[in-house]
Amino acid sequence: MELFLMTITTGVMVGGIYALVALGWVLIYKCSGVLNLAMGEMTLIGAYVSLSFYSMGVPFLLALAFSLVIGFVLGILTERIFLDKLIGEPVLTVIMVTVGLSFFFKGTVEFIWGTDTRVFSPPVFSIEPIHIGPLIIGQVYLWSFIAAIILLIVFVCFFKYTRWGLAMQATADDEMAALSVGVSARFVYAAAWAIAFMAAGVGGTLLGNINGLNISVGYLGLLVLPAVVLGGLNSVPGAIVGGIIIGILQNLCGAYLDRYFPGAVKEIAPFAFMAIFLLFKPYGLWGWERIERV
Amino acid sequence: MSTTWLPCGVYHETYAQDHAWWQTRFIRGKMVLLAFILFAVIPFLADSYGLSVCNQIGYTILGALGVQLLIGFCGQITLGHAAFLAVGAYTSTLLILEFPWPQWMMQWGLAYPVSIFIAALVAGIWSVLFGLPSARVKGFYLILTTMAAQFITVDFIITQYVSQIGGRGQAFSLPPGTIKVGPWVIDSDLKVYFMMLALVIVCVIAVVNLLRSKAGRAWVAIRDNDISAAVMGINVVKYKLLAFFVAGAIGGIAGAFWISNLAAVSPEHFPWFWSLWLVGVILIGGVGSVHGAIFGSIFMVVIMEGLQLAVMPLADTFPKLLMDFLFIKEAAFGLSICVFMIFEPNGLAYRWWQGKNYFNLWPFSY
Repeated sequence: MELFLMTITTGVMVGGIYALVALGWVLIYKCSGVLNLAMGEMTLIGAYVSLSFYSMGVPFLLALAFSLVIGFVLGILTERIFLDKLIGEPVLTVIMVTVGLSFFFKGTVEFIWGTDTRVFSPPVFSIEPIHIGPLIIGQVYLWSFIAAIILLIVFVCFFKYTRWGLAMQATADDEMAALSVGVSARFVYAAAWAIAFMAAGVGGTLLGNINGLNISVGYLGLLVLPAVVLGGLNSVPGAIVGGIIIGILQNLCGAYLDRYFPGAVKEIAPFAFMAIFLLFKPYGLWGWERIERV
Repeated sequence: MSTTWLPCGVYHETYAQDHAWWQTRFIRGKMVLLAFILFAVIPFLADSYGLSVCNQIGYTILGALGVQLLIGFCGQITLGHAAFLAVGAYTSTLLILEFPWPQWMMQWGLAYPVSIFIAALVAGIWSVLFGLPSARVKGFYLILTTMAAQFITVDFIITQYVSQIGGRGQAFSLPPGTIKVGPWVIDSDLKVYFMMLALVIVCVIAVVNLLRSKAGRAWVAIRDNDISAAVMGINVVKYKLLAFFVAGAIGGIAGAFWISNLAAVSPEHFPWFWSLWLVGVILIGGVGSVHGAIFGSIFMVVIMEGLQLAVMPLADTFPKLLMDFLFIKEAAFGLSICVFMIFEPNGLAYRWWQGKNYFNLWPFSY
């Protein structure tokens, strides 16, 4: 029972971070219809940037802020250089450009920062665990979860109450209509990439704090995809719920199935679950069902 | 794009001429020349390095053909094709190593050829299994299920279970002399080269003929619009699964071929990167043409080898460059895909087609 509760809690905490990255993903998809497979590498870049600043002695929050700024700039640059020219191209072309981007980013990151695992030293969060009833939670997890929740709330408010957020929602709903009332779609696309880059950076930094940072953290970008699909491709709440579900599922499988299927069951479970899930609910939990006509 | 305009002044008079593979005597002559170069010039001019590059190209062509069939002709985007290559390679390896072949089959050297067939079959069926969701989902959702195929097959089943069979640890090695086609033991680059040529030619002919048949027309209809294809009376699910089967089978052949070159197999030979690489190859070559798969393979392999050759001389002065070459290669691959997609979305096959038609139609450019 205790193991079960522990697993669930850890799952929810990690799931919060997944949700944060998934949010950036959904944002890009909603605003510009681009399926972004470079999310994992965007996470890596943000994480490495904040790690570099932190190692130079910059306080953690300031380092995070720097990584946000750089993420913002990189997001806009990426959109302007690569994606801007592809508006209206077939899906496969756009997907492959993001795949190309992911290789480009990955190669660059490996070139600049190497492949060794690096840790935030001195640790940002204290190692001393917190006891809540029978549960033992690492401080890193707790703070990551809190940070993720705060950022999620900020994002949701941003979409609901600010001018930019509303413009983005309008473009997501109907690009033509948004253009006709004076929303600049190009601006919205650039903003979507910038925000996604920033969200990815925060997610990556938090994850880097948990287990140290190396190139395999980029795997997160792939792990987020099942979460996104589970929630439905174009639903922000779906991304959050999906992220948490995937986090829980992953930890449950790690705790209970590892005995029977030794090895990498933890990494595979989300994908296997998703493949089966899609057979029954092809549009995820809250995705838009497209009605197609010839 | 697939139709070639005939040279000025050439007309067909019979259906047989219209359906012919090579429609003019000039084209037939070109094909004979190509065959001559492939069979007689390259093997004797190229050294062992050149042959190994050729083998790599052949392997890439075999892998990319299946991807081309799925993406270019049936519109089913797949990002997990390396899984089927892996299934083929492992099936073939395990059959050779573990299956109790009758003595006469061993003597006649039938074990490996038969295992290629079985590998194709197994990989095809495995591919159909992961193609099943395509009955209900498409586009991005399908990409995810094919990605699931990659991770479940290679990273889980093969790494954790299959590669533990026989207690050999992670990598299987095939003792020399076990890979035998008829009386020939495949043990040199030259022999691998000839086997590669045979397999590539057989597979290309098979795919091109399939595309000319009912199945091929059904695939193209599904690619263009699957709803209208269904309205026209095409059994969409059946043909989608058939496409997955054929693509997986070709992937299986590719995998089974590749073990003859490496004489060893381990899960690291089939990473996700390789799946993406194959898709990149057909995008650079041109989506929706068999030429595209071939051009793309040649281009990518030659460019990467060229990059390596260019880096080698610099290694003495900049040792860091050699160490980081893998990363540069990765970044260059990514960037080249982006650049190609932005500036040349039709791929190399389109350029080839344009150039050919320029000469065919000369001096009238219409």
